[in-house]
Amino acid sequence: MIALSIAAVLAVFILYTSAFGGGTPSISPSQLPGHNGRVSLVGKVTGQPTGDGHAHALRFRLRDRDGSASVPVVYRGSVPDLFKSGREVVVDGHLLNGTFVGVRGTLVTKCPSKYAPAKNT
Amino acid sequence: MADLGRAALFVSLGLALYATIVGAWAARAGKRRLADSAGNALLAALGSTAVAAAVLVAALVRHDFSFVYVAQHTSTELPTGYSISAFWGGQEGSLLLWLLVLTGYAGAAVLLNRRRAPDLVAWSVPVLGAVSIFFAFMLVAVSSPFATQTAPAEGEGLVPSLQNPYMLAHPPLLYLGYVGLTVPFAFAIGALLARRTDERWIVATRRWTLVAWTALGIGQLLGAHWAYVEVGWGGYYAWDPVENAALMPWLAATAFLHSVMIQEKRGMLKVWNVLLVILAFCLSLFGTFLTRSGVVTSIHSFTESPLGPWFLGFICAVTVGSLGLVFLRLPLLRSKTRLESLVSREAAFLYNNLLLVALCLTILWGVAFPMLSELVHGESRTVGRPYYDFFLRTFGLPLLLLMGIGPLIAWRRASLRSLGRMFFWPAGIAVVVGAILLALGAGSSTPGLAAYTFCAFVLASIVLEFVRGTRAVGSFTQLVGRNRRRYGGYIVHAAIVLLALGVAGSGAYGSSTERKLSPGQSLEVGGYTLTYRSLTQQRAANHVAVRAAVDVSRGGEVVARVEPGKNQYFAEDQVSNEMAIYTNWLRAEDVDVIADQIDPGGAIYFKALVKPLVNLIWLAGLVFLAGALVALWPDAREQRRLATRYALVEA
Repeated sequence: MIALSIAAVLAVFILYTSAFGGGTPSISPSQLPGHNGRVSLVGKVTGQPTGDGHAHALRFRLRDRDGSASVPVVYRGSVPDLFKSGREVVVDGHLLNGTFVGVRGTLVTKCPSKYAPAKNT
Repeated sequence: MADLGRAALFVSLGLALYATIVGAWAARAGKRRLADSAGNALLAALGSTAVAAAVLVAALVRHDFSFVYVAQHTSTELPTGYSISAFWGGQEGSLLLWLLVLTGYAGAAVLLNRRRAPDLVAWSVPVLGAVSIFFAFMLVAVSSPFATQTAPAEGEGLVPSLQNPYMLAHPPLLYLGYVGLTVPFAFAIGALLARRTDERWIVATRRWTLVAWTALGIGQLLGAHWAYVEVGWGGYYAWDPVENAALMPWLAATAFLHSVMIQEKRGMLKVWNVLLVILAFCLSLFGTFLTRSGVVTSIHSFTESPLGPWFLGFICAVTVGSLGLVFLRLPLLRSKTRLESLVSREAAFLYNNLLLVALCLTILWGVAFPMLSELVHGESRTVGRPYYDFFLRTFGLPLLLLMGIGPLIAWRRASLRSLGRMFFWPAGIAVVVGAILLALGAGSSTPGLAAYTFCAFVLASIVLEFVRGTRAVGSFTQLVGRNRRRYGGYIVHAAIVLLALGVAGSGAYGSSTERKLSPGQSLEVGGYTLTYRSLTQQRAANHVAVRAAVDVSRGGEVVARVEPGKNQYFAEDQVSNEMAIYTNWLRAEDVDVIADQIDPGGAIYFKALVKPLVNLIWLAGLVFLAGALVALWPDAREQRRLATRYALVEA
């Protein structure tokens, strides 16, 4: 009985993962070449971002967390309060002619208070 | 001062070591007085940890920036209340709070159970001591809140979104919950070590589990409300790993609170209960690890925090150690009875447990997925909202239904005829409510309609239980007074129904709009018209507040003026979005207005959301607390019953 119920739960789980795939790849700018579908791009904002995400699309460069590879990003939609140069952000989208085009409303900053390891000062 | 704090933590570490080593030896050798002394060491550890905490609070209040921690988390402009709350605003302080709450719980559990169950306490003390050793060691050697420096002129300040009254209550409540789960864990392990595998450890820790579970639940709802009013995106739960970190142990503890009733009533599920309490404790450790180690960013970055490897090691040791112990004691954990029928209250409890654990583990899988896939494929993959929403529906809706079935169905074996008699009214009411809602247009979302209908079913069956009980006993207060646990539980069920209504309503039937408006222009959302009037600026103590005046009207009449905007904080050099909410109590819905982007010219990109029934979620919190208090209230009758039971076991 218990085994049967557990099997049922597992079956639901496996059906779901096989039908909807195993999530969105979460990658850094240097890993972008070779990914054609939708990905979550993780990286650090570098340079001075321009635009506001609305009338003028937000444009910025995203760099690897630990590295120098970077990619230009264009994004429309709401921009989080904490977004600024130097922050680590995640944005969903795909690569189009060398520019990463973000999906509306997917730009999030990684909350510094919660995730960041202790500053070693 | 910092030296006093450091010394106090050293003393705590020493006392925890004493409690563990001497306590274990005393329990093994059966030395009663020595075991008492080990218990006293835990009480003393509470005292020394309190001294350390007092030192940190004093430094925070005085803005003593020679403490690195104080300089990193406060500024001179920060109001005193928030300066104190910076205690749990960072990693070192959070760890200290863990240890403080842990020694507090440990001391109280030892004091209250020492007389009643000395053999159980004797073995629980070393377990509580061992957990305290870990945290005291981290505070002394790895992540000290008392590191000093030459004081800078000004501190870095507290993240603006943490400068909120919720910051005063939400984190401490979560810690009360997380840490409280240590007590049932320690007693379970203590019982296994002592080879006393009857249900006494459950009875002795029932209230502790309830306290921890209540604090965890209320803490999470406060966090959700905080996110809703403060973070400013119009939602209250985002399936963020840090949020899931608190939800998982709560789900495991919920399953535990249900399954212990089976063990108490029928002597079944002994192994399962021990496993659940181990799971709940490990998940609360995992939650702390998750929020404090940076592992969420990437599996390779977790060593960036000095805590990561230590925590991972501790979690592994706890898991392996306790599972090994359960394995060794398996022969003692055999059930006396078997499940007689798949249609019975025991079976309903069992399904409830499976669904809760399944939900908990799928969330765990979702949280761990990025790390696991990075390990296996070398590429991190994340699962998002659709994944979690799917499993919440798949496991949550049957759970909701079970909440209506479980309390009514008979123990052991239910006959078809009794089922028909029991469920005639609730099922009838549910069908009628469903049909009415369908006619009103709720069919636009099938899961939403199912949730509403199930909620009607559960509410009807709860009301029916109260009515039947009151008729039999003759008085409502006596009915609840005689079986507080049961009827408190029903009140909590009602709270979960309200929660489900709020989640289904705001999730499945909400609407939203985004538009750029100049002063004088308006937008339409869910039957409301929002007109942007003007922009104002005001200087407050530590920020500038920019506010847009927006008139909300419905049916041509202005019903409210709301002021969404942004706060610019100086010391922290950050901007925080301040959402405005208009609550229409008559229609039981919220209109959330967000000034997403303010142009220098005064034009604003507004985002507006209508969230039906969202306030039921907060009401659910109050009802939940009321139900939990009823179940927690001291019960003289129960005490007498327990006393006879203990006497029987001792004999």
